[in-house]
Amino acid sequence: MQLELDHISKIYGDLHAVDDLSLTVPEGQWLAIVGSSGSGKTTLMNMIGCMDTPSKGSVTLEGRRLEDLNAAQLADVRKNMIGLVFQKFYLVPHLTAVENVMVAQYYHSVVDEKEALAALDRVGLKERAHHLPGQLSGGEQQRVCIARALINCPKLILADEPTGNLDEKNEKIVLDLFRQLHEQGTTIIVVTHDALVASCAQREIMLNHGVLVGEKWNDEEARKAYEAAGGRPASTGSTAEGAQSGDVPIGFDDPTKAAKTGGEE
Amino acid sequence: MAADMTNRKMFWAMIVGAVFRRRSRAIMAVIASMVGAMTLFCLAAISIAVPQQMNEELRSYGANLIVTATGGMSDETVSTIESTVTGVADAKAAAYRYESVRINSAPYVMAGIDVNEVRNLNRHWNVDGSWPSEGRVLVGRDVADALGVSIGSTVTIGYRGEDSGQPNGDVAGGAGASSGSAASGSSEDKAAGETGQQTRDGRVSTDILDTSGTKFQVAGIVDTGGSEDEIVYAVGSDLTTLAGKRGPDVIEFSSEASEDQLSGLVSKLNKQGAAASAGSTGSTGAADAVTYQAQQVTKMTASNQRIITMLKTLFWIVSLVVLVLTLVGVSTTMASIVSQRRNEIGLRKALGASSLSVAAEFFVESALYGLLGGLIGMGLGYALARVLCAQVFERTLDFSWALGVASVLLSVVLAIIASIPPVRRATRIDPAIVLREE
Repeated sequence: MQLELDHISKIYGDLHAVDDLSLTVPEGQWLAIVGSSGSGKTTLMNMIGCMDTPSKGSVTLEGRRLEDLNAAQLADVRKNMIGLVFQKFYLVPHLTAVENVMVAQYYHSVVDEKEALAALDRVGLKERAHHLPGQLSGGEQQRVCIARALINCPKLILADEPTGNLDEKNEKIVLDLFRQLHEQGTTIIVVTHDALVASCAQREIMLNHGVLVGEKWNDEEARKAYEAAGGRPASTGSTAEGAQSGDVPIGFDDPTKAAKTGGEE
Repeated sequence: MAADMTNRKMFWAMIVGAVFRRRSRAIMAVIASMVGAMTLFCLAAISIAVPQQMNEELRSYGANLIVTATGGMSDETVSTIESTVTGVADAKAAAYRYESVRINSAPYVMAGIDVNEVRNLNRHWNVDGSWPSEGRVLVGRDVADALGVSIGSTVTIGYRGEDSGQPNGDVAGGAGASSGSAASGSSEDKAAGETGQQTRDGRVSTDILDTSGTKFQVAGIVDTGGSEDEIVYAVGSDLTTLAGKRGPDVIEFSSEASEDQLSGLVSKLNKQGAAASAGSTGSTGAADAVTYQAQQVTKMTASNQRIITMLKTLFWIVSLVVLVLTLVGVSTTMASIVSQRRNEIGLRKALGASSLSVAAEFFVESALYGLLGGLIGMGLGYALARVLCAQVFERTLDFSWALGVASVLLSVVLAIIASIPPVRRATRIDPAIVLREE
C-alpha cells in the first residue's frame, strides 16, 4: 500500500481531533474524506501530508514511517511525493501565476519555465501565466494551485476542499483535472464536505468528531481490486457511538448530494 | 521573464517580487534603514569634518609658537624667522615691541603692535571699544581698573626705559612670553627683585612721582583673562615716537604645522638664533649680539584636543543611540513583514522549503531593504550634513566615498542583524497553518 495509517490519533487536551483511525490507500486510488466542519478531516490531511504528527499511531508513506523522520526529511517527502491543493488557493501574492508554479519547482529541484507554462496550459491558464494572483478569479487561482501541485509529478495529491470557494463551472474544470490525474495513476485524497466532489472519488470515508463513522465505494471494480490486493476496510478503535470499529464498512448517505445534483441521483 | 529561468534567477525573482510588489511594507523597511543611515552618515561626516574645522578655527585664537629676542630684532632677523616658520607650514604672525612706561607715576608695560596682525592672530580677545590707532591706545583690563580709566579717557604716558633699572630685553621677554607661557610671572618677579619693589596688578610700586609724558586717548579696553590685561597696546609708530626706533622683541606665530613639525621648527629656530648670536658676536662684538629663542605653546593645543575629544564622544554616544533605534525600527518592520507573510511562509514550507532557504530569502530581502535605505540615507545624510556644516559651522563639506560606502555597508549589516529575531520566528512557522486556517 502507498499509504498506511495505523491507529493514528491526534489529541489536543481532552479533544480527540482524530480518534484511533486505521486506513490503507493503494497507489492510484481516489479517496474522499468527508464529514462536517470540525470532524477532523483537515487534521487527518495534515498528518498524511507530513505537516503534522499524530499523538498516537503511525503513518507510513511509500514504506517510510513518518514519525522516524526529522523536519528536513519531512520537507523532502512533501516536496518529492506530495502535491498540495488548498481551499483558499494559497498562492504567493507577489509572484505571477507561472512564478507560483515555479516556486514548487524551485524547492523541489530545478526551475523550468517551459514545464511551468505547460502545466498552466494543462489547466487552461497559459494566457494568464504572467498575471498576479490578485488579477485572477477564484477558479483561475485554484487552477494555478493545481498546476503547482502537479508540476513535480507527485505520487500523491492531497486536496483540502479544492472546490470549496468555486462556482459550478470552475468546480467542473477542477474535477475534470483530478479525473485526468487519476487516469494517469496519481493517488488523490480529497477532503470535502461536498457530496458531488466526494462522489467523483472511488472510495469515501466519513469522519464525525474525529471518529470514523462510515465507508463506501463508488467504484465497485476498484473495491474488488483493492480487496484482491489485500486491502481492508478502514477501521477505528474508538468506542464512540456509530464508530466503524469492525471489518464491515458502514454505509452512509451524502446529505447534500441530492441538492447538489438537482435530485438526479 | 526570460525563458532560461534558473534557480538563481527564480530566487531573485522571488526577492524582487517581495520588495517591489509589496511596496507598502517594503517602503516602511527602507525608511527605517534610511533614517538610520542618514543620521549616522550625517553624524559621522560632521564628527570628522568639524574637529578639523575646529582645529583650524582654534588656531586662530592664539599663537602656538613664540620667538623672543634678547634685544629688538632687526628687519633681517624678522624676515629670517618668518621665512623659516612659513617654510614649514602656513602661519599667521604678529610682532610685539615691549617698553616700560610710566602712567600716573606707576610703571607699566606698553606694547607696540601692528593692529591687523594682532587682531588676526588673537580673535578671542574681547575688546571693548576700538583697537589702537595713532594717538589712541588699547588698555588692558587690569591696567584700566588700576588707573580708573574708561574708553575716551586720556592718559599721559612717559617712557621710563632709562630709569627702569633693567634692560629692555628683560621686560620684552617677560611680557612676550606671558602671551602663552608661565615665564611672565618669573620675569616680573625678577624685575621686582632687582628694584626691591613689589608687583601689584601688573605694575611695580615706585616712589618716583613723575607725571610727564605724551597724552593718549583710551580707544578701548581689552579683556582676555590673561596677562594681556596688564599691558597697554599702542600702534608701533606711537611707541617709536615715545621710545625711539627699535625692532620687535617677540613674534607670535599661529602655524598650521603639526605637533612634530612644530617641535622640529622650535629646534631649528633655536639653532638659528644661537648661530646668529655667534655670528653677530664675532663680527661686531658682544654688545650688538641679538639672540632669539623659540618655544612652543601647548595650552591652546591641549584644550583644543579636549574639546574635540568631548565632541567626538558626544557624536559616538548619539550614533550609538541612533544605531539602537535603527535596529529596533528595522526589526519591528521585519517582524511586521514576517507576521503579514505568515501564511506565505507556511505555504513555502508546505511546498518543501527548508528553514534555511526561508531564512536566506528573508535575510537577503532585509539586506536589500538595508541597501536601498542605506543608499538613499547616504544621499540625504550628506545633504543634511552639508546644510548643517554650511549653516552652523560655516564650512563646505566634501563628499567622502569611504564614509558613503561604510554607511551603506553598515546599513546592510544592521538590517540583517535586525532581522535575525523575526527571521528565526519565520523559520519556526508550522506549515500546517496553511491547512488549519479555514
